[in-house]
Amino acid sequence: MKYQNIPSEYAISVKGLSKRFVIPHERINTLKGAFIHAFRRKTFETFYALDAVSFDIKRGECFGIIGRNGSGKSTLLKILAGVYVADSGSVSIDGRISPFLELGIGFNPELSGRDNIYLNATVLGLSKKTIDEKFDSILAFSETGRFIDQKLKNYSSGMQVRLAFSVAIHANRDILIMDEVLAVGDTNFQAKCLQELHNLKEAGKTIVLVTHDISAVEKHCDRAMLIEEGKIAAIGEAGIVVAEYMKRNMSRNMSEVAKLI
Amino acid sequence: MKSHENHGELIMRLARTDFKLRYHGSTLGYVWAIVKPLLLFTILNFVFSSIFNFRNSGIPFYSLQLLTAILLFGFFSEGTVSGMTSLLSKSQLVTKTYVPRWTIVIASTLNALFVFGMNMIILAFFFIVYNKMPSLAGIGMFLIYVACLYALIVAFSFLTAPIFVRFRDLSMIWEVLLSIIMYSAPIIYPLSLIPAHLQKFLLLNPVGFIIHYTKEALILNSFPPPWQFVFLIGGIAFSGGAAFLVYCKLERKVAEYI
Repeated sequence: MKYQNIPSEYAISVKGLSKRFVIPHERINTLKGAFIHAFRRKTFETFYALDAVSFDIKRGECFGIIGRNGSGKSTLLKILAGVYVADSGSVSIDGRISPFLELGIGFNPELSGRDNIYLNATVLGLSKKTIDEKFDSILAFSETGRFIDQKLKNYSSGMQVRLAFSVAIHANRDILIMDEVLAVGDTNFQAKCLQELHNLKEAGKTIVLVTHDISAVEKHCDRAMLIEEGKIAAIGEAGIVVAEYMKRNMSRNMSEVAKLI
Repeated sequence: MKSHENHGELIMRLARTDFKLRYHGSTLGYVWAIVKPLLLFTILNFVFSSIFNFRNSGIPFYSLQLLTAILLFGFFSEGTVSGMTSLLSKSQLVTKTYVPRWTIVIASTLNALFVFGMNMIILAFFFIVYNKMPSLAGIGMFLIYVACLYALIVAFSFLTAPIFVRFRDLSMIWEVLLSIIMYSAPIIYPLSLIPAHLQKFLLLNPVGFIIHYTKEALILNSFPPPWQFVFLIGGIAFSGGAAFLVYCKLERKVAEYI
């Protein structure tokens, strides 16, 4: 698989992407185990997490990815972010990507809020100079001002998440990948996050949003994609894809109910 | 794909965080980094100087030799252990985002280098107490040996960090091997106490070689024959290259095994 920067109208262009996992029935985690089982026949299952997936995401677009658990959403995101290497296919990314699949990566409870901001922001690719400049703004957005030199373990979970989200949106990347990160904080803060998401979109950022909250996809995304068993089941205008998702879930539920009866 | 333009800053931030976390929680804080090898030194020095009487067996500056060797070996064992466990202990950085993984490995070994740097203050202090001034050439060689030892640590870490993700009992095996290395290297005993025909075998171990000749350089102002030195550098360069190739091969799948 290659990552290349192509100047085009697309921020992300994915072609024929496949990823399969070989899952052994008995996972061997130690050298001792490997030694003991050296001559035993190993049984495993091959699981196609992604099967020849192709799609494009336009620059400045808010693109939603929906699908049931285990449909391949996370695998796709991890390949986009560079965590996994695909078996075949290509990913072209034009612009700087913010590959955070979770908020507060690298956060450590034993460090102060200040240290955690620097650590997390550095991991997201910011230079020290940039963090220095943005520090006040990060702090203000997170609403955790006077606790900044306290250890993170003394923060409430809501405060931690606010701090993490605040760092994330200050990363100022061209492409933001977000995996279920909207379900944070109280309703007030959620509204603020959505507003910020809107601002980012206005500023021409490309946003890839993976969520189970289909109303958020319907409301904020221009286009969406439905993944089922590693394949694209539907792609297009957000409202239509969401409707398709609902329809499929509904008929599945109906047939399950029918089986029970 | 480019997500980090400044790898140096990332490495330093990770290493500094490690360093802070390591000693921050305890009351003595950073002092622990110095006290730990000093305690080991005090015990071994007492046992081998006073009870086994190495001091009066014609070995010049036995205590200084012992301290130098302990600090070097401590550097090696701490560096290799933290390098080997680096990818797993920072699994969040591997599975939840993308940072170039070699930066994680390097950052973990750097922490050991920081601690070693702090320990150099003690070493200098003891050299003053024993009124021993190493020659300039001796200090120069010392720095080169430290660089070699660090290169060895980095090579080992690149080889084992992705393997450790798959085989978690590697750390236990390495612990045993470390104590074998500790006793087979001229640390608590000087090389001259070993029968002459066995000495060259002990010097085949690069850690033993480095420790022995560092002591020689700093205390006795004596150096190995150049061809041996060429072998050392060549060996480290070769194993470093091989380790990095293995690392590149295994690194691609590391996130799937964590």
